[in-house]
Amino acid sequence: MSTTMVAQSLASGILVGALYGLAAVGLSLVFGVTKILNVSHGELLMLGGYTSFWLFTLMGVDPFAGIPLSMFALVIIGLIVYQLLFSRLIKLPTEDKIRTSLLVGFGLGLVLQNVALRLWTADNRGITPSYAGAALTILGVRLPYVRVASLVIAFVFLVALQLFLQKTYTGKAIRATAQDWEAATLMGINVYRVYLLSFVLGTALAGAAGTLVAVGYSVEPVMGLHWTLKALIVLVMGGIGSIAGTLVGGLILGVTESAAAVWISGNYRHVVGLVIFILVLLVRPQGLFGAKEG
Amino acid sequence: MLELEGVDAGYKDLQVLWGVSLRVGEGELVALVGPNGAGKTTTLRIISGLLKPTAGSVRFLGRPLDKEPAHRIVEMGIAQVPEGGRVFTGMSVQENLELGAFTGRARKEKEQTMKWVYQLFPRLEERKGQRAGTLSGGERQMLAIGRALMAKPRLLLLDEPSFGLAPILVEQMFEMIAEINRQGVAVLLVEQNVRAALELAQRAYVIENGRIVGEGSGDALLSFESVRSAYLG
Amino acid sequence: MTAKKGISLALLAVGVVVLLLIPRLGVSDSLLNLLILMFIYTMLATSWNILGGYTGQINLGHAAFFGLGTLAARMLYTAGRPLPLALLVAGIVPAVFSMLIGVPAFRLRLRGDYFTIGTLALSQILYITVGNVLPKITYLPMADIQNYQILPRYYIILALTLFTIGAAYALVKSRLGLGLVAVRENEDAAESLGVNAFAHKLLALAVSAFLGGLAGGAYAYYQASYYFNYTFSPPWSLEPVNMAFIGGVGTIHGPIIGAVFFVLLKEWLVLKVGEYHLIIFGVLFILVVLFLPGGLVEAWERIRRVIVRRTRAKVTVSPACARDNGLPGN
Repeated sequence: MSTTMVAQSLASGILVGALYGLAAVGLSLVFGVTKILNVSHGELLMLGGYTSFWLFTLMGVDPFAGIPLSMFALVIIGLIVYQLLFSRLIKLPTEDKIRTSLLVGFGLGLVLQNVALRLWTADNRGITPSYAGAALTILGVRLPYVRVASLVIAFVFLVALQLFLQKTYTGKAIRATAQDWEAATLMGINVYRVYLLSFVLGTALAGAAGTLVAVGYSVEPVMGLHWTLKALIVLVMGGIGSIAGTLVGGLILGVTESAAAVWISGNYRHVVGLVIFILVLLVRPQGLFGAKEG
Repeated sequence: MLELEGVDAGYKDLQVLWGVSLRVGEGELVALVGPNGAGKTTTLRIISGLLKPTAGSVRFLGRPLDKEPAHRIVEMGIAQVPEGGRVFTGMSVQENLELGAFTGRARKEKEQTMKWVYQLFPRLEERKGQRAGTLSGGERQMLAIGRALMAKPRLLLLDEPSFGLAPILVEQMFEMIAEINRQGVAVLLVEQNVRAALELAQRAYVIENGRIVGEGSGDALLSFESVRSAYLG
Repeated sequence: MTAKKGISLALLAVGVVVLLLIPRLGVSDSLLNLLILMFIYTMLATSWNILGGYTGQINLGHAAFFGLGTLAARMLYTAGRPLPLALLVAGIVPAVFSMLIGVPAFRLRLRGDYFTIGTLALSQILYITVGNVLPKITYLPMADIQNYQILPRYYIILALTLFTIGAAYALVKSRLGLGLVAVRENEDAAESLGVNAFAHKLLALAVSAFLGGLAGGAYAYYQASYYFNYTFSPPWSLEPVNMAFIGGVGTIHGPIIGAVFFVLLKEWLVLKVGEYHLIIFGVLFILVVLFLPGGLVEAWERIRRVIVRRTRAKVTVSPACARDNGLPGN
């Protein structure tokens, strides 16, 4: 096995890992703040990807320039989904809320997937702007421009989110609500507004991630579960509420998958992450989902 | 300023408060004492809006509170220090204080109020960059009170501020509360430390099994036979 | 109450007799196929419900158990082993496999969502792995295909279905069943009463996996050809949850009603709206979870109570008394 091959797979792993991080951060934000575990996150990401795909195909909108548009579309969808479904669970005790939200998300995923299937067929689609094939080659390692750009954009999003949560009043209100919603209420924070905002922010991030997936890779209606699982794996590795942890978790997952593809077989790329996920769940669950509550 | 009239309240099938009526005047320091589980915390939750009464009325400055959501009540001038303080442990001391001034009115005067809070609790200023989770129990309690003051409340609700503190700190805590009250903030104090609370308060209510069973000046209640035998040994 | 029980038993007996006689009435094979599908779905939903309904542990990867059952049964049966052995192993393999997630998850007393997501991940692992190792179509033995007999399959799968329902009933009505419900309602309280929550949850999981695998065995014996990993695919996880909820989670008859309803509605919808039926099922599922957590069983209970109250009121019994009588016995 050549060094170049190893380097190439490492690079691919990092490039896709950044997207795993971005896909996970929305799910993590929503779960951390609202305790809604939305397993239709992958389907929302899929919708983001299709938004960009159609904007590009029908109107020639450049996918990168179109990111705000797909985020906007997902804000609208997020609002509808939240008001219609998840807001009804928001006052349940935590355990019930997680369980019911899992079920609702499960059903919603089914609906969205099949709606996409009916509307846009089962075809696998990618966005191919003129620069799609271009790549940077360093020491024999090929780095497609669109994926490198996606990495940079994902990174920018994560930093921006971190700054927003750390520096702004609204961001602080979100963190306070995540930690102790009752105490946050006593600060005069309308926690129900915070829940809505966090949920919509999460879906907007799914929209951005979906665009980057569509441009760097491809989209299809059944991709949702796949991406939800990636996001859950990253969540478990990186821990809730830590954006840096989410990014690192995403990169580790991407690299591990690439390594598995090289050393075991490409067919097992997506199994490795799941196995790690189960092991982590079983070996050290305390550092993962739960953090501290109350 | 604050008036509760015949308030019933509870959780699900369990009624906790039965026709509770009490009053706190402008600038007054009122204590609410009683045994564990008597409904003291529930009363405070009713006032701050975390729990809604099933009957009766709650009025503040002449306006009804029972329909207002909890976050609006903070803006109207009532701040609650919950039991155990419940500071945001993952955030710095300063961030905790900033969150205290979340509502519009208080946010404008944030810098000034923070100066005042730091004057009251110089310890907090020393630790302002530190994560609240690393503070000692006494410091957390100070932070919780400071955080509540950041809302510039007209009425401060204190739930067991002395709980878990060393005796020497308890004394300091009560002096602090008296000081805050002297500066014009009305206080409703819930305490298990009955003697200290009654000595401090101008007036007090005794609550048992969800009903107000005694009312009077602090001194009067201190000498009241049943209170003496029940709480002061 | 005994009267009610008597009626239920009588209805059950009539139902079974009808199901036994149907093939003798010269009905079409397609009706028998439909009934077999109902049987298999009933087994799936009932097996899922033992864990999901009675202990509250939501398993989103039931396809893992079903799939392992099909795999084990198909391997043995096509290798010429006797059918009873193949079916037995179809139950045992997933039951053993289920301990892999059950023992650690329940021993550590992980929150329910860890278990849920763990099952989702496990089923995906198997789906991908089986697809990699056995990327081909499996066929029944040549002799079976050339002379495909639907009648024995109908009766055997009916028997397996009755066994599954009976097993679920026996478990739920036993002391163990009471323990399961106690654990679901309040784990700490149950433990303080001496109920071993760990053992109870594990048992429910094992039985659920065994019966889920048995459903897989039935499918493997029934279906002429399919891709090996097809029975591990996400719909097999989704549908049992869907049926159990729509019918009424945490009851014996709920999943049966759910399965029958599901299959009939699916048949009808496929004719009416084609592939849109999955969207409708998704919406229906969400609506049940949010607004009717007891499913059709609860809906019926509510309607019945209203009817009972109305009719009783007409017979001029005092309203309070009517309400008391209207409440379900038990």
